[in-house]
Amino acid sequence: MALRELSSLEKYLGLKKPNKYSTQGDKKVPVLQSSNGPPLSGLVTIACHLVKEAKRPELLGESAESRAVVQQWLEYTVTKVNGSTREDAKAILKDLNLYLQDKVYLAGNQISLADILLYYQIHPLILDLSVQEKEQHVNVTRWFDHIQHYPSIQHHLPVIAVLRNRIYTSRHH
Amino acid sequence: MGFGDLKSTSGLVVLNDFLSERSYIEGFVPSQADVAVFEAISKPPSADLCHALRWYNHIKSYQDQKNSLPGVKKPLGQYGPAGVADATSASVPASKAKDEDDDDDFDLFGSDDEDDAEAAKLKEERLAAYAAKKSKKPALIAKSSILLDVKPWDDETDMSKLEECVRSIQMDGLVWGQSKFVPVGYGIKKLQIGCVVEDDKVGTDILEEKITAFEDFVQSMDVAAFNKI
Repeated sequence: MALRELSSLEKYLGLKKPNKYSTQGDKKVPVLQSSNGPPLSGLVTIACHLVKEAKRPELLGESAESRAVVQQWLEYTVTKVNGSTREDAKAILKDLNLYLQDKVYLAGNQISLADILLYYQIHPLILDLSVQEKEQHVNVTRWFDHIQHYPSIQHHLPVIAVLRNRIYTSRHH
Repeated sequence: MGFGDLKSTSGLVVLNDFLSERSYIEGFVPSQADVAVFEAISKPPSADLCHALRWYNHIKSYQDQKNSLPGVKKPLGQYGPAGVADATSASVPASKAKDEDDDDDFDLFGSDDEDDAEAAKLKEERLAAYAAKKSKKPALIAKSSILLDVKPWDDETDMSKLEECVRSIQMDGLVWGQSKFVPVGYGIKKLQIGCVVEDDKVGTDILEEKITAFEDFVQSMDVAAFNKI
């Protein structure tokens, strides 16, 4: 799973030569064997490394604050969203819905690595949602739809249809 | 298409609803559509319109590069949900877009904009004429005729005193009419009295409250008939 995300990320970053990854342990932690230096392991570590290699530091946040927020959401993605159960999913969606109410991106006013990785990880959760649930979490749905249509991000994942006209109008958020 | 009057709260509510499931006015990247709507809004939306405010703040962050955003500015009426017309007073972006276009030799959209601006102007004039006509018409005062049943405590209650009390109620928009005593049984009579009220000024609740206030005489009061005039 993580390997496909990393290769999608590589494509988005425009890295020419694909890296070789291997996996480690039961949880299939991705490992990048670089030519010079020790091997890197873990999704976020490798993703940050790729961003730096592609010279796109703005994806990790422009200001000190947004760098911190990006880190926070990367952590959230790996610890909470990755491998979540159906019960967790509800809490995650509720959290995110509240957080995204007044935001377009997770951090600051531009797309960051946190948006991309969270999109990859949350895709299966959104795929499971009914139309009604999507409307309940309208802020998450809006963010998700935005990211999945962001130029050249969505590579290995199918587009999830999001209804633009409401069916259930008696909803409060 | 349009948002109604973006300078008023109603227009902002439409915008807020529209943006609840969108990050931008059009598509998935900021464009001239966002700039056009942004410029039509005079001040940040209030905090309870969270979607509009989120969008507003986000577009504000593009202020330095607003001219380089993709797309061509269109009149406000071309954006927003279907079924809502644009009624923003003094469509600034439309005229602005026209000015910009006029500088170009190759003017594809200029004439379109002009037509729309003219149509908007015509519409505004008609609206103003209609509003003026409406305001000249004297407002019709809605009146109702009410028949009340006022019941005394027992056969020893002085009915003429009771009627006197009821008729002593004076209110703006209330005129008492004819009355008669109707026997109920066991020598008890009830007072049946008519009145005409102006709906805006007098309600049956107020009447009941005032009449039952004479608790020495009045046991209860009912509305026997209620007719709009």
